[in-house]
Amino acid sequence: MTASDNSKTLEKPNGNLPDNDSRPPRKRSAIGLTFTAANLPTALSLQHCEDCGQVQYPPRELCGRCLGPLAWRDTEGSGVITSRLDLHHSLSDFFKHKLAQRSWAIANVKLSCGPTVISHLDLASFSAQQASEVAAGTEVQVFSHSDCSLQSVLIATAPGQDLDEAAVRSKRARELGLLDPAPKPGGF
Amino acid sequence: MRDYQGVALLAPVSHGYAKQGPHTAPWFIGRTLKLMLEQAGLQKDDIDGFAISSFSLGIDSVIPLTQHFQITPRWVEQLPYGGASGVIALRRAARAIQAGDASIIACIGGDSAAQGSFEVTAGEFSTFTVDASFPYGAAGPNAAFALITQNYMERFGARREDFARIALDQRYNANHYPPALLGHKTLSLEQYLNARPIAGPLHLFDCVMPCTGGEGFLVMSEERAQASGQPYCLIKAAGELHNSHRDDPIQERGGWTEYAIQLYEQASLGVEDIDLVQTYDDYPVISMMQLEDLGFCNKGEGPQFVQSTDMRFDHSGTQQRKLPHNTSGGQLSVGQAGSAAGYMGVTESIRQLTGRAGSNQVSSARHAMVSGFGMINYDRGLCSAATILAGVDQ
Repeated sequence: MTASDNSKTLEKPNGNLPDNDSRPPRKRSAIGLTFTAANLPTALSLQHCEDCGQVQYPPRELCGRCLGPLAWRDTEGSGVITSRLDLHHSLSDFFKHKLAQRSWAIANVKLSCGPTVISHLDLASFSAQQASEVAAGTEVQVFSHSDCSLQSVLIATAPGQDLDEAAVRSKRARELGLLDPAPKPGGF
Repeated sequence: MRDYQGVALLAPVSHGYAKQGPHTAPWFIGRTLKLMLEQAGLQKDDIDGFAISSFSLGIDSVIPLTQHFQITPRWVEQLPYGGASGVIALRRAARAIQAGDASIIACIGGDSAAQGSFEVTAGEFSTFTVDASFPYGAAGPNAAFALITQNYMERFGARREDFARIALDQRYNANHYPPALLGHKTLSLEQYLNARPIAGPLHLFDCVMPCTGGEGFLVMSEERAQASGQPYCLIKAAGELHNSHRDDPIQERGGWTEYAIQLYEQASLGVEDIDLVQTYDDYPVISMMQLEDLGFCNKGEGPQFVQSTDMRFDHSGTQQRKLPHNTSGGQLSVGQAGSAAGYMGVTESIRQLTGRAGSNQVSSARHAMVSGFGMINYDRGLCSAATILAGVDQ
């Protein structure tokens, strides 16, 4: 990371406009930032209730079941696709520039540990070109990786990969195109 | 639950629809109020209750507006419930009238649409949105509703041709409602199917066009409404429920399933007595869910229902069953003026039930169902509200 990248991140963590530049949306709530921090060293960290054990997502401060306190814990990320699709339109320049090349797949995944997550969908891991080739009901593994806005995001990928290996996770995130900015095609 | 007897709705106003414009939210709310007062023959200081909804007031609330407009209400309410705001405002105001907390309440939704404002609203809609949905493609509400639509289509066998039934009949209605921003254009099935793809199964004509505008109505006692000499309608039943079916992994139904039967019971009416229905149509699948959950057909039968139902305001469609739906064209053809869109079904129904709709008047309209749906917090819409309104022989 260059110094200018760093200052840019620090300059507008809570800017009013949704990050209309060449990186994915970086805005997060204070709790959202703790999701990013908790997930940097591990494949998937989610909040578990210290009283009842319920796993939570999206990030929050209290257990949605018993209103108990929460702690970030390594979590097994197996789940099943409930719905998935290809996006063709976005409000963010990063995704607009990606969409100029090809559609972008996202999924709604029901994790076996409980919560429903919206995630990027790693079509290549299923040897698929379009989201429609990955049926609802397909089993996936959900893991986290930081994108080029230095925020952790969730990625649903094909089962059977060694996601305990950071290098395997980084390869999937890189092939998705999340690790590099997407400048305006043709430059300024 | 106590009934809504003795409460009247009148002076419906829809105003200021434009794709974009320099005016701010108070302009749309204030101009709508002025037109409501003119219609009812009232002065500004006759208003002692004031309820508003807006996404574009910035740091202001209903209270700064009282100074801006120089009014002195003894009852105020602000309802940040998106597409359910209008029906919830109606409920709150009706109870205040019954309790004597206010005597004449103005309920208004109004929003501006400056360049880039939709992107800001979509990107900062809620904490869960900021943290857990917007980063995934930044598609705004289109993404979550497309996931819901895709699931609904696979689960119940709905096709794009079925959603087209809703969009096409609404466009026909909009062609007869002059303020509709898309009312000057017809929409064919071929145009609908060949439209630009947006997100998964959603294409251009499944998505609303953000715009400016204001929608409002007055709530007062029936005695006072009679004395005003203005046509009014009555509330036969109303209900709301939020974050219902919270363990469903993806939204296939809304809170209406839990109180639809009570609505009909409270109104002493059956589904067959409803002459027109206004659903919150931010996307056609949501209208289809409302038709199912409010009892017009069973869950999963929405596609067949819309194929076999004429939803045009003038009953001119070929289908045997007639149920005028979103009789002004709804948001899909009028435009989505932010929070005003949540009031649109109420104002349009008051016009219809008082015989003041004009060129899109439904003949013999006596009972209207108005449904609200709002606030996609993360992966689903959380608010549900519905009311049955009735015309009065005057």
